[in-house]
Amino acid sequence: MGDILETLQPIFKDVLDNPALVIRRESSALTVEGWDSLAHINLIAAIEQEFRIRFALGELQELKNVGEMVDLMERKLAR
Amino acid sequence: MNSYRWSELHEGLTHEFSVRLDETMLDAFRSISGDTNPLHLDPVFAGARGYPNPVAFGLLTSAFYSQLVGVHLPGRDCVLHGIDVEFVKPAFAGDQLHVQGRVHHLSEAYKRVELRAHIRNQRGDTISRAKIRVGLHER
Repeated sequence: MGDILETLQPIFKDVLDNPALVIRRESSALTVEGWDSLAHINLIAAIEQEFRIRFALGELQELKNVGEMVDLMERKLAR
Repeated sequence: MNSYRWSELHEGLTHEFSVRLDETMLDAFRSISGDTNPLHLDPVFAGARGYPNPVAFGLLTSAFYSQLVGVHLPGRDCVLHGIDVEFVKPAFAGDQLHVQGRVHHLSEAYKRVELRAHIRNQRGDTISRAKIRVGLHER
């Protein structure tokens, strides 16, 4: 499950168009340049397709950073 | 005009339509865009580069992707978020273009629809293919 963050790296680089970007558990829309509302929708859609999972709006609104996203993904992938 | 609701959409849903590309469309696009490149106007210039006729603007043919999402799939209640287009082969005035789009992915959280689309000419050659991202705004 620790691989989720690493699998997310190329998705973030691609969607945010920043090959040098490295995200961490503490990363969020407040700390990552270019992570605006449209990029956020693109990220969610890309993650859903890569991991074959689905998010509900309520789940996403509670997330504060990438780490919480990874935790949510772990719970979904474990089902 | 279609006006799909979110609950009516499903992955695999497909729409298509045909349109004839004509000279007046090239003229209108030239006027709107300001792209006066002779490749799109001068038969001699185009011929010297291996094309039988002036090449239609790629972004002109891509305008039909706008009709695809705004009128057909999902139609009235959408807003275009983004589109990635590859121009595979040239199109020319007089071509009959066949535009097709298919729902590739539905992202429930933000009512985001992703389409895969293509345009083919009257010979079945693919002119362009596109990945289209659309938001659905239900009232």
